[in-house]
Amino acid sequence: MFTLTFKIENQRQDIKCQVEAGETVLRAAERLGIAIDAPCAGNGTCGKCRIRLISGALEMPQNPRLPYSDYEEMWRLACQSKVIGDAVVWVPATASAFKEDIATADLSTPEELERYDSSIEEIFRSGLSLTPFEEGCGVAVDIGTTTVTAALLDLKTGKVLSKASRGNGQIRYGADVINRIIQQMRPGGKERLQKAVREETIIPIMEVLLKDSGKKSSDIKRIVLAGNTTMEHLFIGADGDSIRLEPYVPEFLELTDIDSEKAGLPAAPGSPVIFAPNVGSYVGGDITAGVLDTLLWNSEQMTLFIDLGTNGELVLGNSDYMLTCACSAGPAFEGGDISCGMRATTGAIDSVHIDEETLEPEYSLISGDRPLGLCGSGLIDIISELFRTGAVNSKGKFVRESRRIRYDEYGGNYIVAFASESGTEKDIELTEGDLDNFIRAKAAIFSAIRTMLGTLAMSVDDIDRVIIAGGIGSGIDIENAISIGMLPMIPLEKYSYIGNSSLTGACAMLLSDEAVEKVFEIGRNMTYIELSTEPGYMDEFLAACFLPHTDQRLFEKN
Amino acid sequence: MAFTRKPQTYSSSINEVTIGTGDKAVTLGGANIMPLYTFDAPAKNKIAVGAEITDTGVDRTLPGIAAFYEGAETVAEIAKRASEMPGADFVALALNGADPNGDNRSVEECVEIAKQVADAIDVPLVITGARNVEKDTELFSKLAEALEGKNVLFVSAREENYKTVAASAVMAYGNKISAESAVDINLAKQLNVLLSQMGIKPESYVMNVGAAAAGYGYDYVASTLDRVKDAALAQNDVMLQMPIITPVSQETWAVKESIVSEEDYPEWGDRETRGVDMEVCTAAAVIAGGSDAVILRHPQSVATISGMIADLM
Repeated sequence: MFTLTFKIENQRQDIKCQVEAGETVLRAAERLGIAIDAPCAGNGTCGKCRIRLISGALEMPQNPRLPYSDYEEMWRLACQSKVIGDAVVWVPATASAFKEDIATADLSTPEELERYDSSIEEIFRSGLSLTPFEEGCGVAVDIGTTTVTAALLDLKTGKVLSKASRGNGQIRYGADVINRIIQQMRPGGKERLQKAVREETIIPIMEVLLKDSGKKSSDIKRIVLAGNTTMEHLFIGADGDSIRLEPYVPEFLELTDIDSEKAGLPAAPGSPVIFAPNVGSYVGGDITAGVLDTLLWNSEQMTLFIDLGTNGELVLGNSDYMLTCACSAGPAFEGGDISCGMRATTGAIDSVHIDEETLEPEYSLISGDRPLGLCGSGLIDIISELFRTGAVNSKGKFVRESRRIRYDEYGGNYIVAFASESGTEKDIELTEGDLDNFIRAKAAIFSAIRTMLGTLAMSVDDIDRVIIAGGIGSGIDIENAISIGMLPMIPLEKYSYIGNSSLTGACAMLLSDEAVEKVFEIGRNMTYIELSTEPGYMDEFLAACFLPHTDQRLFEKN
Repeated sequence: MAFTRKPQTYSSSINEVTIGTGDKAVTLGGANIMPLYTFDAPAKNKIAVGAEITDTGVDRTLPGIAAFYEGAETVAEIAKRASEMPGADFVALALNGADPNGDNRSVEECVEIAKQVADAIDVPLVITGARNVEKDTELFSKLAEALEGKNVLFVSAREENYKTVAASAVMAYGNKISAESAVDINLAKQLNVLLSQMGIKPESYVMNVGAAAAGYGYDYVASTLDRVKDAALAQNDVMLQMPIITPVSQETWAVKESIVSEEDYPEWGDRETRGVDMEVCTAAAVIAGGSDAVILRHPQSVATISGMIADLM
């Protein structure tokens, strides 16, 4: 046994523990509840779990995600570093970015509130009636893979009394649902994953909600949870493997007769906990609740609903029929799988302009003074700008020279911010590998749209409106997203953004039993397309892995 | 009722790319009909057949090849003999010896060999490289300079090196290149788009959409060729209207049927006959699929295929 000491930035108290030889620093940190962000679940492929060795020794093999110069400066990857003796490590504050307040669509700005109010009004103008509650309040929760958002409502008046959000505590078990499921299937995994989302995420959020509204947990009479299929499985402790493995049939689609005791959530005894229903393995309750919000089911207009989260989910249809599919866009839109990627939080670059002559960038931050990385909307901007200025070609390879472009054995890198300007003491740069990952992500979205339209023998011109939801959505520049071939080339006025549709839908379900019925009906009426078994999908995908697309006619301006 | 013939011609056509100089120059492409459908409209140019020679010498273990090249010892003599092969329209020099994993012949030596070949022949010259991205990049750049004015076709530029190869071979020294992709219509098109974005004119490049010997995944080649021709002609996809060249011999002479000896496989019969059969049936298939030029090694294959082309066009 050796002693491992964690010195945590901005935290006065050091944390010491006894560890067995061979245990990784990340595992030890997990045991102690020290937050180190590991989006790749400790596979050594994301390079985000950097820590610094202050004294002692750790055994770590060479890793392409950690440049040798950084290794020399004693940086290590927590997931790859094995304890071989007493050691002291330093954990930078950036390692726990998920615990910070993440800028997300959580009803905290006046625009969001206004959008929310009009959405709720529209939903109940569509013919659904409110349930006449006499008293009490309810909590609606959107369980996102990355972020969990919740609101506390007065059931009688429908007013939002408080709202809160927080990074999903499961993030340290992987950024995407597949890694989470793999972690869940390890011994003790079910309990760990459940605890991470319930005890470490939702219950603290509910405590904030109660504190901010001056209510007690016994005032809570009704809870609605909307999450993707995996999130609902992990929350309730059902086997996630059924989602991950062929034939991809989840343990359940609808979960009924759950009360607050069974769910393990604080509320008045016997209060119902309603789960928004799932449609398939990769289209879940967040989408059925979201569709309620889009009013897609109540309109003749051919509507494309895109939820850009950690996974991209799409719904196409109108009041007559609905098709839905999920595309494995991966976590790129939320900054995962990108060397300089980060979530939309303090220090994230969210928009970029690049000068055509000099290739010098101008950027803006979500908040903070110094850039730490690029979030999804910043990535869309920078790739669109690099392509527009001819710095990269249609394959996403660098082809121009500038002091901002550095070439190494892996290809070109674009330096967004030099070490002197950045808040990380390192250059913030976008590599060709990042471009590859991002192009695959955008191709997944676009090819899913095309495949789904193809099953109906439709073209993009048949779409009357496109509704975008999800955390990335608010800051996204639609024109740039079209110019890189992520979204179809149709008039900009057909696009609209609705914020966190899953949360709004869940709020409507809180206020009305008819809305709950409606969401269940939506879930049962949707036709689920499994893209991995769709023969034309791979071909569409390869054609879309190009800027903007191999078939350039799809993106010609006329 | 009398039968009325409805010719199936297209308003789009394959680009024309000329290689070589003078009377013996060859133009590839130009058709506005499906491959070999000369009953719909005459094909503008004949499908071209190339005779392959290598920098590593002639394989004299095959009696037919040994007899054809008898007395030809130097590179120049071999090249001259190949250029006179009945049915051959061009000579294809394969610089197999330049492969860094093989003989690793130097770029300077390769340039010397290529010059001797070019001076010995009056038909167009096609050069296939070491099939190693780094080596080919350097090789093609130097060869293009040395062979300026000869209008040589270099096979092939790939996604990894197209920029350098196109810039030197085409832009600087006015030669031609082929864009190679791995049996996928999207990848083929993407490389053509990248070349056109560089400003390479359609009359300066052909494509090689990948090949496989019959029986070795040829079904992928067949469907790729079909889709490319359909996109080029029926859908007027200008980024797929490049003529296609297929280096058949490199595939067919590397498979078991063409390699194993008769002693080891007596029931398979004569090795040379087998090799020619593989070469001929693969070449016939890619021509039926839409290839505008093929590269073959054996004189008998060249005679057979050029005879087939003459009969069908």
